[in-house]
Amino acid sequence: MSIDVVLQVLVGGILVGGLYALVAFGLSLIYGVVRILNFAHGTILAVTGVAASLIFARWQLSPVLIFILLVPSVFLLGAVFYRGLLHPLERRSPLEATIGTVLVTVGALLILSDVTAVLAGPTQRNIMLRSPVIEVGNIVISVTQLAILAAIVVMTLVIHAILKATWFGLAVRAVTQEPIAAELCGARSLQVKTLTFGVGSATVAIAAVLYVLTFPVDPYMGFGLTVKAFTIIVVGGIGNLPGALIVGVLLGVAEGLVGLFWGPEWSPAISVILLLLILVAFPAGIRWRRG
Amino acid sequence: MKRFKHMPQFLTWLTGITAAIATVGFAVSTPANAKIGSCTEPIVFGTTISESGPFSTLTSNWRKMTEIFAEEINKEGGIKLASCGGKSVPLKFAIYDDQSVPATAVQLYERMASVDQVDFFVGPDWSSLGGPVPPIAERHGIPIVMGNVATPSLYQRGYKWVWGTPAPAVPRWSERYFDMLTHVQPKPQTIFFLTHDNPVMKAITAFWSRKAAAQGLKVVGEETFSADLKDFTALIAKVRGAKPDIVYLSSFDNPSVPLVQQLRQLKVHAMDVHHTMLTGALAKQVGNDLEGMTGELTWFPSVKGPYADLFDRVMQRTGITMFDSIWTLARLDSYIVMIQAIEKAGSVDREKVQKALYKGTFKSPAGDIVFDEHGFPDTGAFTIQMQNGKVQVIWPPDVATAKPMWPSPTWQ
Repeated sequence: MSIDVVLQVLVGGILVGGLYALVAFGLSLIYGVVRILNFAHGTILAVTGVAASLIFARWQLSPVLIFILLVPSVFLLGAVFYRGLLHPLERRSPLEATIGTVLVTVGALLILSDVTAVLAGPTQRNIMLRSPVIEVGNIVISVTQLAILAAIVVMTLVIHAILKATWFGLAVRAVTQEPIAAELCGARSLQVKTLTFGVGSATVAIAAVLYVLTFPVDPYMGFGLTVKAFTIIVVGGIGNLPGALIVGVLLGVAEGLVGLFWGPEWSPAISVILLLLILVAFPAGIRWRRG
Repeated sequence: MKRFKHMPQFLTWLTGITAAIATVGFAVSTPANAKIGSCTEPIVFGTTISESGPFSTLTSNWRKMTEIFAEEINKEGGIKLASCGGKSVPLKFAIYDDQSVPATAVQLYERMASVDQVDFFVGPDWSSLGGPVPPIAERHGIPIVMGNVATPSLYQRGYKWVWGTPAPAVPRWSERYFDMLTHVQPKPQTIFFLTHDNPVMKAITAFWSRKAAAQGLKVVGEETFSADLKDFTALIAKVRGAKPDIVYLSSFDNPSVPLVQQLRQLKVHAMDVHHTMLTGALAKQVGNDLEGMTGELTWFPSVKGPYADLFDRVMQRTGITMFDSIWTLARLDSYIVMIQAIEKAGSVDREKVQKALYKGTFKSPAGDIVFDEHGFPDTGAFTIQMQNGKVQVIWPPDVATAKPMWPSPTWQ
């Protein structure tokens, strides 16, 4: 097999993996702070993606405007979802609260998918912009793909900077590490959790707009993405954004190479196999060396 | 315990209400079927349509279309029965949504046989449903003419009450396209098959890759993809590496949306990219990316075979076109074949209708439907090409609306 073919697959894998990592950032943030596994996380991408493609089809708005329109809306919806449906469960016993959050998030997944399918139809949709392509030998990369890759890198740096250098980031890290001490030091736990749920949802909305620029979305594709995001945060480490980016890219490349050498029908199984292998080989989790 | 003290009373009410709803529902939903020898009661066709679930994109407005079909038949008098002295009996449908789920379809056909007591079955569609449903028809001895169930092996299980009107049938799916390939210049030498992981699409590839090889085309690749796949980079990289003259996509329309888009994005070059389901739904989703591609169309209204006017009228009243909904012909064929079989039998006696269907020849707008001993038809399709945003029939030449653009300029 020619090296060009492998390189083409690597480029595609990096792009897909970067998008997976963006999805995982939000899930990681939410789990790190609120301690809720949001099963509807991937579905937020699917629904936002469908909304973005509908807006584009109806008004031909630029993706940047769609981004400006949708990201704050999803932030608000995420915050309201947490305050209205998930936060009240914290008053229950830990077991009831855990079961309750699973039921609420899985229920949200089903309802969001079905309602979107009824309103917008179950078919796949995307915003396929015909941009110029750069051909290096036999490798083809579109300008849109390059822009998406750049946006993923910028988003990773921005989120990393927010977490490291702002009061919100400090509060998030404090609540993640020691919620009671954080509250005693002035970080209002409920507000931080609500903001974090909103930011986590907004992150996946950003991923959604970037995703529909290259790949189609449909209302029922969300759970598969959530599983990939789970894999990334388990392997990359909760709250470890650079780790999530590396693992996301590795997952995307692994899917591409499996598709190339084994068959694309096996690619979707890779994340689950990877997750199981990591859980068996490293039951205490992988420790990423710092510094 | 205090909060549960009204529970027994509540449960009694709940049970009573449920029973009442069930009784009313049963009474309302049970269609009056034709008793043998009766010349007044309607003949009831029981059917399911995939109105929800993954196949629902292929059945838009089919419930309305089915009801309009019955209206049109009844407008012309209904179904003629010799046993009633040539008098016509009205047609009625019992329609349910199988949700694209085989288990649901099985439950519904069982219900139509046991509870609704319909006279005959028509439908369902899709090979995944056409596998588990026929045993119900067999068990109850009810003739069934399925619609779009195109996998030949599903008919070779020794059934006596099962027929199907898939259009086109797998062994004739791309017959005219491969015939065209022997006539075009420059002549293609190589072909690459990309197949959606679905029983009927895999059967098409299995059949036509053998035929392609027998015709002298070198098969330079065969790859399968799942319906969920969004990133086709690996597959397309293989296609680019193999440099085939023909890329043959054997896929339902919806799963191939990203494939078609990414074939364009990654600048695949070929003489032609052929799609087994080049539909209006696909055109709506990928737009100009379909330009120059070839595909199959089971029938188009300018081919004026028997019942062409009836089908055209039903489709016009429903607001659907053949290109938008290419599976419509096989669906309507299943209805018209059953009607012809009943008229041929001259009675609603299921055994007589079964005998009429066995190895029978029936009229359809696209030509005769001839059943083999397994109940499988021999229907073919016309080769089409998207030219300047319009669907043109390009093969066979005697019915073509335009000449083939060859090699397809959009893939150069």
